[in-house]
Amino acid sequence: MSVITQAIATADREVRYLSKGELDMINRFFDDGPQRLRIVSVLNNNVGEIVEKGTQRFWQRCPLTPSNSDNSQFQASCLRDQAWFIRLISYAVAVGDVDPLDASGVRGAKEMYRSLEVPLRNLADCMRSLKEVTLEMLSIEDAAEVGPYFDYLIAGLMP
Amino acid sequence: MTDRINGGSPVVHVQQYHTVPTAVIVGADQRDRYLNHSETKTLLAFLNTGLQRLEVARVLAQHAYEIVAAGGKRIFVGGNPMDYLELPGESVGMPGSEYFVAEDYLSPKTKQTKNGQINRTVSPGITNPVDWVKGLFFSGKPSVPSRFRAIGIADYGSVRMKRSMRDLDWFLRYITYAIVAGDTSIISVNTKGLRGVIPEDVTVATTVALREMQWKARSYFPSESAAAALVKQYFDVLIADYQIEKPSDRPRNGVSKHHQGLSLPASYEDSASTQPRWVMKNNLPDLEKEAVVKAAYRQVFERDIGQTYGGELSGLVSQVKDGRGSMESFIRQLGKSRVYRQLYYEPYNISRAIELACRHFLGRGLSCMGEFQQYFELVAEKGFPALIDTLVGSQEYSDYFGVETVPYMRGLGREAQECRNWGPQLDLFKYSAPMRKVPQFVTAFAGYHQPLPNQHPYGVGNDPLEIQFGAIFPQETRDPKAQPAHFSEDSRRILINTQPQHSAFSGIKHDQRSIVDKAAANKANRRSTLQQKTDYLSIDSVQHSVDAVILAAYRQVFGCEILESQHHTKAETQLKGQLITVREFVRQLAKTRAFRRAYWENLYVTKATEIIHRRLLGRPTYGRRENNKYYDICGQKGFYALIDALIDSGEYLETFGENTVPYERYVTPRGLALRAPTGPKAGPNLREEPPIVGDYMMRYQPSISPISAPSSRLANVDKNGYSTPPKRQPEKAPDALPETSSQEGLQASPEENPASAPDSDPVEVIV
Repeated sequence: MSVITQAIATADREVRYLSKGELDMINRFFDDGPQRLRIVSVLNNNVGEIVEKGTQRFWQRCPLTPSNSDNSQFQASCLRDQAWFIRLISYAVAVGDVDPLDASGVRGAKEMYRSLEVPLRNLADCMRSLKEVTLEMLSIEDAAEVGPYFDYLIAGLMP
Repeated sequence: MTDRINGGSPVVHVQQYHTVPTAVIVGADQRDRYLNHSETKTLLAFLNTGLQRLEVARVLAQHAYEIVAAGGKRIFVGGNPMDYLELPGESVGMPGSEYFVAEDYLSPKTKQTKNGQINRTVSPGITNPVDWVKGLFFSGKPSVPSRFRAIGIADYGSVRMKRSMRDLDWFLRYITYAIVAGDTSIISVNTKGLRGVIPEDVTVATTVALREMQWKARSYFPSESAAAALVKQYFDVLIADYQIEKPSDRPRNGVSKHHQGLSLPASYEDSASTQPRWVMKNNLPDLEKEAVVKAAYRQVFERDIGQTYGGELSGLVSQVKDGRGSMESFIRQLGKSRVYRQLYYEPYNISRAIELACRHFLGRGLSCMGEFQQYFELVAEKGFPALIDTLVGSQEYSDYFGVETVPYMRGLGREAQECRNWGPQLDLFKYSAPMRKVPQFVTAFAGYHQPLPNQHPYGVGNDPLEIQFGAIFPQETRDPKAQPAHFSEDSRRILINTQPQHSAFSGIKHDQRSIVDKAAANKANRRSTLQQKTDYLSIDSVQHSVDAVILAAYRQVFGCEILESQHHTKAETQLKGQLITVREFVRQLAKTRAFRRAYWENLYVTKATEIIHRRLLGRPTYGRRENNKYYDICGQKGFYALIDALIDSGEYLETFGENTVPYERYVTPRGLALRAPTGPKAGPNLREEPPIVGDYMMRYQPSISPISAPSSRLANVDKNGYSTPPKRQPEKAPDALPETSSQEGLQASPEENPASAPDSDPVEVIV
């Protein structure tokens, strides 16, 4: 739930108008908005680079993983999935909330990888590599904004 | 990130309204791409106007009282309508909620000031003259339709007045929410259909009041400003939505005996209408046609098809793009293609392949066993392509998708869902569905003919306690065997009688005289007399010392001995002074803060009622019908009403009467197994394989221990899965039991034997 829906839901449950604190909170959300959208556009434009560097780092770190074998199908699906995770992160950054990550990013992905018998620890390592590459690309403030979403994802994917 | 899953059957939440960010994200996610330029611009615009919209919402909230007053005064005459506007009451402290009635209850007023809510100014009896003059000259005061007649407050009645004023306040509140959210959907969701609820004769008046409120709200902003335009826009949406007739529920398409004729509230469908449907038309530009073909691939193959498979499919694609073939035939060809066969037929067994085909071509799961069998025969006799032909050629397909539309998932929001395949169907719509190789629907349908599992009617969990309370644990979501248990309202749990036949309470004996005394004291209550004569595990204020009664009451109600400081000394004194009966004492114990804290505040409702029920009535609940009754009480009246309902119930009076401390009468089979000296070895297996529960219970021979000798451990499950009352064993000479007891048992005359008394049937339906 984003800041706005959260505030509305709370106020509606208590049958009252939005309080000053809630309005301030939403206001802060608006203030950070341009920054977050800038981050989203950076992610959008550099997704190829992020995935490429991230994968290299991931393979260095864990060489024994299905995607590092010669099987091109595994490689391709690994790259595709990483781009997909970056996209989810960009959604989450845009909304300012982990909600978009939750359903398909954490729960669904975990279920899927488990049934595909991909080791979740490797997946978490992969996300960690992606996080490092992404953060290196951003300024310190932007990195501080994006970092938590990656952390949430990693924590959720840990077996 | 809590999964609230009940019995393996997932709960779904419909997105009821959108804010700008959620709407944008949903749109992008459905097309599986990053936010594009225009969407980013929408978001930016939303953020840039954010401050202004917040300011508007703040001003409206600040002047809420005056605005509602303006609306009310416009349509009501003969009094001050604002007298009828009530502040909302407090919600009763439910388990898990943050407010508890007993100790940290805050009155609405203190809570408001605590939350920093805007204080409403006291109603001015007469409108401020300056405002009045300003009002006269303020242009654009809404005109009133000639049909409108002002409503006299006295004629209207105070109940309806209160409702009307409350509704006006609600309208304004939702407007402020919608302005903050930047999207009018929150208004539409909440107002469409209200006209059907609010009496028809005040429709015109309500519209007039809303227009007046609109005018009043706008007067707080400079005219022609953006803020005033915003307010006008949202009020316009509200009024327009209000005037729409209540949209009728959307029934499910197609009439077939497989369908249940369910209907979906229109608001659900409205909220789902943001999802695109892909329709192939000849006059579409090429780019759009590409997108439609892509959507078809995604529906049928669940992936994008690139150049790899191009050879086989390119001919089909060009056909459908040129308009030489319809979308329907395109879908049919895709289903018969080699790609589909490789992806969704060869890796699976036939049952699962049929389920997946249902998803891909009909957008739903299998509806019933009959449907599955029909498809299965088809595949077995004529092969898989025949199934595709049947699915795509079916009446249902043409009803929903016609010749031009790409099939889509008919999940919740699109149409009403059947409950028969609820869990499997929601699973089938997941992205991970193809990963599951085990057929799901067939097993679920087959489960309906199995005996009921040994679990709580409201779910299965790994609760360490001896009964499953319908607990909710994330692990259950991943268990492929987790399926909704088909407990109907009338299903009854098997409960096993644990009332010892003979005096098992150490050191307590009573002589014939005391029985006579008791019989005299409780002449009216034959049942309790019976119990006392047969010497159940009960403690009675007539025959035992008050201290023993008090101790037993604490043990029974709290389940353990509590600290000295937690004792309810006042009630103890009253009991000792014979001012209250044991029943009243138990009631007061159950209403103490310690009890409330232990068994109510930190538990979810099902578990709380279940435990309290066992403490006070001495048995687990029977099933859903009984549980539902308690949910109603908890939800509407709260904890204290629940205690009263239990203690004032006929069952309590009949079983324990005024003077007996409640005792445990029945346990679940699992509970009995847990207490066995050998330990709960069979426990986990029992849940996995319900049919063996009965066998296990038949074979189960506890070593006879005086405290928990079960009188009957026979529980029968008939073929429909209903439990039948355990038949009490005819009383045999209880040789194995302690000497004193056996003598008394032999002395008992036939009419004192509970087995022969017709109303002492151990599992008696009280619901």
